[in-house]
Amino acid sequence: MNPPAVHCHQIHRHFGNGDTRVHVLRGIDFTAASGQITFLAGPSGCGKTTLISVIAGLLQPSSGSVSLFGRDLASMPPDDAVRLRRKDIGFVFQQYHLIPALSVAENVAVPLLAASMKRRDALEQASAILDKLGLGDRLHQPPARLSGGQQQRVALARALVHQPRLVICDEPTAALDHETGHRVMELLAASAVHPDRAVLVVSHDNRIFHFADAIAHMDDGIITHIDHPNATTTA
Amino acid sequence: MIRIALTMLRTDRAKCTAMILAVTFSVFLMQNQCAILASLYRMMTAQIDDVTDAPLWVMEPDTRCFEQAKPVKDGTLERVRSRSGVAWAVPLLKIDTMARSDSGLLCTVTVMGVDEASMVGLPSRFRIGQPEAIRPAGTCAVDPGGYAQLFPGEPVHFPRRIRILDESLVLTGMTEASAPFTGFPILHCSRVTALRLNKAENRTATFIIGDFTPGANRAAVCESITAATGLSAMDRAGFGEMARRFYNSQGVPRLFWITIAIGLLTGTAITAQTFSMFVREHTTQLAVCRVMGVTRARIIAMVLCQGLFVLSIGCAFGTGLTAITTHAAASEPFLRGIVLPPQVAAGTCAALAAITIAAVTIMARRVALMDPAIVFRS
Ligand SMILES: Nc1ncnc2c1ncn2[C@@H]1O[C@H](COP(=O)(O)OP(=O)(O)O)[C@@H](O)[C@H]1O
Ligand SMILES: [Mg+2]
Repeated sequence: MNPPAVHCHQIHRHFGNGDTRVHVLRGIDFTAASGQITFLAGPSGCGKTTLISVIAGLLQPSSGSVSLFGRDLASMPPDDAVRLRRKDIGFVFQQYHLIPALSVAENVAVPLLAASMKRRDALEQASAILDKLGLGDRLHQPPARLSGGQQQRVALARALVHQPRLVICDEPTAALDHETGHRVMELLAASAVHPDRAVLVVSHDNRIFHFADAIAHMDDGIITHIDHPNATTTA
Repeated sequence: MIRIALTMLRTDRAKCTAMILAVTFSVFLMQNQCAILASLYRMMTAQIDDVTDAPLWVMEPDTRCFEQAKPVKDGTLERVRSRSGVAWAVPLLKIDTMARSDSGLLCTVTVMGVDEASMVGLPSRFRIGQPEAIRPAGTCAVDPGGYAQLFPGEPVHFPRRIRILDESLVLTGMTEASAPFTGFPILHCSRVTALRLNKAENRTATFIIGDFTPGANRAAVCESITAATGLSAMDRAGFGEMARRFYNSQGVPRLFWITIAIGLLTGTAITAQTFSMFVREHTTQLAVCRVMGVTRARIIAMVLCQGLFVLSIGCAFGTGLTAITTHAAASEPFLRGIVLPPQVAAGTCAALAAITIAAVTIMARRVALMDPAIVFRS
């Protein structure tokens, strides 16, 4: 049996010292399986973003361990962690974070260029995936010309273009209206779900929870319970 | 990723333009002032350096530079010649006077009368004609800028007449004399010709120039000349050094250095400040790149390339601007000594680049060390 895409064991994380010390993650045990969309839900400020930063290797946990695809992040040399992020993780942010100076296609090509792929090949792959996401006619436009929903689809294309094994989305629909958000989630679900690929979505938008295979509910730095919405409907 | 970095820079038109302009004007200001200063330094010793065939210079102790030289007393020549260590020595007579061209134009000129037997003391090259042509009394050669001052707008042709005092002189050729500090025409003639223009009765040489015997200790020879004649004696380099010291003591170079320093400071300050704003505004975008697996080293390279892009374009524009303005100045006969030496062009760019790159490197390191997790927060 394959190791889970993400496995967190007793993660603690605090910020600051003395009086200003805040204990944001208070012992997180969490697993996200490959081939599934796992949601991380909970009120604002409960530590969801902090947790995915730790999972992505962008933030060191104060204690506890994270492993991705069976590899322990803490025991990995820093270069390997960067390589793993480059190769195996795709990101979607609430604020899209597209680079305004670049065209839509160039934005999508960034993960490939970061991995030193030739520019022409990278742009070709980027165009192919943009085509699939219905943005084939926007390749050369700057992102600012696009609507929010379109920009988030570009961001989604960028998260998927290098075929990562883990896609991490932080509130991907929070800046979008319901319908547009729904469309983005459909595309994410359709293109990301693959037996070897895990999708981790942070959201407190319960209107999109039905896309989830599992929902980990978080509050005040711990995971309170885990739902399996689709399992309940079939039962 | 480098290409992406440059696209980011170029797309931020306002800042990119501001930085390029800051570099351009800073480089222009520095180069312009440095070029004038370097040209002044060159002109301070131009007529000394032009005399390539006589390394030994003997002059009155009051003399501080070529332009302000007091003639030596007659009889000195023989006493210099008789010193051991002196291979040979000849008189050189310099007279500052007024010349009137045949079109009636009046102009201050410097006349240099060289020993007619040896013809030592002439510039090493003639542009038109040859040294022999000025041996006869009443003939002389003029430098190119001097011709343009005496006969503005007229085509170059010889012979031509000018009048100095009551003497009529025939110009028979053109020397390659270096542009002088005074800016005035330089006329070379034989000493017989010059003596007709000389008003100092018993002083018929301004300098005694000559050479040391091979293997002689130059300093010792100079000392023995001073001991025997009471005159200052030095080699060409020593005279040049004394002239520079004199002009330095007059305070002019200091003014140039102040302007150059202001150019350097404002140029680097504006560029570094604008660049820091640019980097700060693009921190999130660079953090996004980091999150997507761009290494720290690559981020540093991206920011450095942005800095180098601004610098190289600004330096190119600035140097071009200086080249155009100095070229325009040098085409004015009186300012013919103003040139932009390549070392000055390169040196000013290097000074600006060194400071700016240091600042850019610090900023590049800072963004490379940022916490990429900020992408989730902004
Ligand atoms: N770098 C930090 N320094 C100090 N406090 C932080 C930092 N990052 C997050 N926090 C705090 O951690 C808590 C959880 O933040 P976050 O993980 O963003 O929550 P969520 O994503 O669930 O809204 C917040 O109270 C926030 O102020
Ligand atoms: Mg959050």
